[in-house]
Amino acid sequence: MPWELDNDRPIYLQLMERIQHDIISGVYKPGDKIPSVRDLALDAAVNPNTMQKALSELERNGLVYSQRTSGRFITDDEELLKNMKMQLATEHIRQFFEQMHQLGFSDDETLQMIQETLRREKQ
Amino acid sequence: MLGKLLKFDLKYGMKVFILLHVIIVFASVLGRLIFLDPLSFSNPDGALVSQVVLFSSAIFFLLMAACFCTWLIIAFRFYRNLFTGEGYLSWTLPASGIQHLWAKIISGCIWYLLNCFIEAGCVLFLVSGSNVTEACSHIAPEVTAELGIPLSTFALVLFLLMLVSGPVSVIQTYFCVVIGQLFPAHRILGAVAAYFVSSFVIQILSFVLQMGTGLLPEAFFIAQTGSDTQFATYFFATIGFSCIMMFIIAIIQYCVIHYIMKEKINLL
Amino acid sequence: MKPILECRGLTKKYGSTFALYNLNIALERGQIIGLLGPNGSGKTTLIKLANGLLRPSGGQILINGSEPGVETKKIVSYLPDRNYLGKHMRVDEIMAYYNTFYDNFSLERASGMLDALSIDPRARLSSLSKGTLEKVQLILVMSREADLYILDEPIGGVDPAARDYILHTILTNYNENATVLISTHLISDIENVLDHVIFLKSGQLVLNASVDEIRTQHRKSVDALFREVFKC
Repeated sequence: MPWELDNDRPIYLQLMERIQHDIISGVYKPGDKIPSVRDLALDAAVNPNTMQKALSELERNGLVYSQRTSGRFITDDEELLKNMKMQLATEHIRQFFEQMHQLGFSDDETLQMIQETLRREKQ
Repeated sequence: MLGKLLKFDLKYGMKVFILLHVIIVFASVLGRLIFLDPLSFSNPDGALVSQVVLFSSAIFFLLMAACFCTWLIIAFRFYRNLFTGEGYLSWTLPASGIQHLWAKIISGCIWYLLNCFIEAGCVLFLVSGSNVTEACSHIAPEVTAELGIPLSTFALVLFLLMLVSGPVSVIQTYFCVVIGQLFPAHRILGAVAAYFVSSFVIQILSFVLQMGTGLLPEAFFIAQTGSDTQFATYFFATIGFSCIMMFIIAIIQYCVIHYIMKEKINLL
Repeated sequence: MKPILECRGLTKKYGSTFALYNLNIALERGQIIGLLGPNGSGKTTLIKLANGLLRPSGGQILINGSEPGVETKKIVSYLPDRNYLGKHMRVDEIMAYYNTFYDNFSLERASGMLDALSIDPRARLSSLSKGTLEKVQLILVMSREADLYILDEPIGGVDPAARDYILHTILTNYNENATVLISTHLISDIENVLDHVIFLKSGQLVLNASVDEIRTQHRKSVDALFREVFKC
């Protein structure tokens, strides 16, 4: 099944996000070996060079490391994984507030609405 | 590479060629066994002559048809393999245009010569019954006197001429197809036009040359009246002349094909 | 290393009309490149020049540094935009044909792919459906270990499932140092597999850029940019 990709952003960025998401959501566990570039590219139905670029970027971030002969692995640095999770969460929250701004709600109003929603769902 | 190309070129028309020649061999055997062998030439009458004429015409027609079909196989292979959709594959094989050309010339000549030998074999078989050879031996002196050479020599020379004209006609065919190829919108029409134009030019040329060398039939016979061997002399003179003509024309046509196949191929 | 394909002032005239005019491009190795443009923009002309099926009217086209000839034909695997196989042949005969003429053809790979599609090797090409025939042609072309694959409209006129099969076959079979040049006017279908795109318009180059560059600079897909450039 080809991965769903947006049209207006570089593909390698989207591939990075998708793999990060897979790591956080537990598709890949810390220390797991990840499939080869070619297999991943085939799975996503994208160009292997683009997949290579995405993985190299992830390597630069330290999320993935490669061992010369045996392939690429997910980092087992829990701290780093936690940081990434936090970073992604922060990003989502930021985007959410931005959208609420566009709808005309101030930060305080938004916060209040969140609390109300949570309270209602608990009942 | 040439060998590989040749292999596939020969494979191409094999079935049709074999079928065709099985038919003519079969027809010759039947003709001899059913028609010729029972004939008696000891007391010829009008009915016998007309029967023999009819039979010879039928055999002649059959052999010409086989010859024409062989020519069609050769022409079609060249055209289809190089200048239609198939050309997209042929021209992207790691072979040069000249290798393609030679594979086609050699395979064409092989088909043509095989055809000549089989047809000659058929004719030989048809006339080799004892009744026919006897009848021939009766009239042989007369024929020899008329022709200036024995009938067998005459037939042999005709056969050799046929063998020589094989490669020449193969090259002539390719020449026409290749010229037609220069007019992408009308390739076949171009080939036909090339055939007529080149034949016309060759006719004119040979007429002019015959005039120049005194080989025109009328002029020749008038100049040599009274001689017994006039036909044979004329016959050999013309054959020599046309062989040289054919040879020169074939070389010129080959040079043109060679140049076009090397430099001017545009598959549209 | 010389570029795998290079055009220098390449020009092709048919009669008095220019099919290509003064084209200058160089293709790198190890990339999948889209040759994009509307019908009549010169894509097929460029491809046929690269394969030596046409002769340039001016300029040069070089494959691995040499003009198209016997040596370049050994390293270029070409899928024409039309049916180019003799209809009288059987599937196994055409495979034997490829195997005879191309040293880099893998009979094993081709048979494997035909088996996977359950195509009968004894079937005559004339008995195959149009879609199956196109797949057989692609299999033949991708079963060669070539340096340059040139695919002219490989996904024109096929259904989405066949298109996925074709893209998958291309991605699985080309080796990482080879270049794949794909011409098409259906960009959105293959955009994700391209490294680089070349836009042709009326025989001239209008754009030569990587897909990521286009997306970063224009903030839109190649497909959207194409529609803008070639707006009627």
